[in-house]
Amino acid sequence: MRTKLALVVAGIGVLLASAPVWAHHAFAAEFDVNKPLKLRGTLLKWEMVNPHSWFHLDVKDQDGKVVTWLIEGGSPNQLIRMGVTKNTVPIGTELVIEGYHAKDGTNKAVGRNFVLADGKRLFLGGSAPGGGGDKK
Amino acid sequence: MNHRFRVPARVLATLTLIVVLVSIPVAGQAPSTASRTNGTAAKPYTPSRTPDGQPDLQGFWTNSTYTPLERPKDVTKEYYTPEEAAAAIKLVAERENEQTEPGTTADVHYDFSQFGLDRSQSTFTQSLRTSLIVDPPEGRIPSMTAEGEKRVADRAAARKALGGQYDSVQNMPIGSRCIVMAGAGPPMMNAGYNANYQIVQAAGYVMILTEMIHDVRIIPLDGRPQPPPGVRQWTGVSRGRWEGQTLVVETTNFNGKNPFRGASENMRVTERFTRTAEDTILYKFTIDDPSTWAKPWSAEMPMARTQGPIFEFACHETNYGIANILAGARADEKRAAEAAAKTGSK
Repeated sequence: MRTKLALVVAGIGVLLASAPVWAHHAFAAEFDVNKPLKLRGTLLKWEMVNPHSWFHLDVKDQDGKVVTWLIEGGSPNQLIRMGVTKNTVPIGTELVIEGYHAKDGTNKAVGRNFVLADGKRLFLGGSAPGGGGDKK
Repeated sequence: MNHRFRVPARVLATLTLIVVLVSIPVAGQAPSTASRTNGTAAKPYTPSRTPDGQPDLQGFWTNSTYTPLERPKDVTKEYYTPEEAAAAIKLVAERENEQTEPGTTADVHYDFSQFGLDRSQSTFTQSLRTSLIVDPPEGRIPSMTAEGEKRVADRAAARKALGGQYDSVQNMPIGSRCIVMAGAGPPMMNAGYNANYQIVQAAGYVMILTEMIHDVRIIPLDGRPQPPPGVRQWTGVSRGRWEGQTLVVETTNFNGKNPFRGASENMRVTERFTRTAEDTILYKFTIDDPSTWAKPWSAEMPMARTQGPIFEFACHETNYGIANILAGARADEKRAAEAAAKTGSK
């Protein structure tokens, strides 16, 4: 049995090495791997549409001026199946975004992690701590 | 960022549950045992009939799977044992949920699990097969003919002649441009996420709606011929017929702009849909393209019934990524030019 499982593991290693990345487009071409960032702000709008949803976040800069950032997230279709709606994350919710800044320097970023003010990772899928799970 | 290779405890708990579910069907989440093919003769199943007498394939289906198209090179058998299959799923699912190393290009992405898009969070099909490919028996795509290799090289050269991938929208991948993705096919491959379909049958027709990215195939069953060779489409032109309980669909007339695994525009895809259980369709396909592969090759996978409806995937709606990538490439070029000028002025 141990030999068989080792074989499976070895096979999966190859599988992973050649597995397609499910990304719709090259995120590393859109956002700068050398510019990680952490933003704290309040949700202004969630474009819950495809191919990727975008979270509009009002962030105060160092001078106290509010600047709107656009944060790229995932396709909403599976979330809708799970019962998530636009109202699941109310406008005004405080969010901390850990991600990477857009290469062109504008106020856009990919949200590697969406974290609520209390430190919990935001929902949305069932396997994330605090997630609602598959409500099917 | 404090997320170095962190796998939340809840994820592990979920995965453990998945492994258990391999042998315990649970309505709505885990595919039933009927979703698994193990090479043994399945119990005879007679599907109900549509009002016009077709075997009923209607409903919502998914082909999401952890089984790779090609057999991993260090796996030499056609089937895993149930224990091995469960271990394989568990391992890949863990890797899919694993957080990536900060500062690597793989980390420049959103977290699939936060959006419910990792495969373990929705219905997925299971099979003991080690690859979707069943013929040739090695489970791998056969070697290409010299003509096929030349075509692949010519296509690469033509792309290069147009400039870099991020020099213009036209040079970017077909899927990124929201034209068509792997789920539509044919052959209909696992789209990665939202891998859902709806099949509707009407008198003389079968319609297949693909969620990724809202493609529709309308397949006539009246024996009409294929259109002339000049009529070419991204997803080809399909004609169907019933052979007993099996819907057979032949597709030709591809436009060659989105070649499946390097195939030519003259590829012929033969698909076979057989309802083998209330919650399962066995989907088989054969690729026949003599100018690319000396012999046809075939694959099969179960499609598992899932919950509808299909939600719209309007791929262009917020495809800001295209503009952002092009802007990013221009910013990179500007930075490189400035760096070169600085070096040159020293």
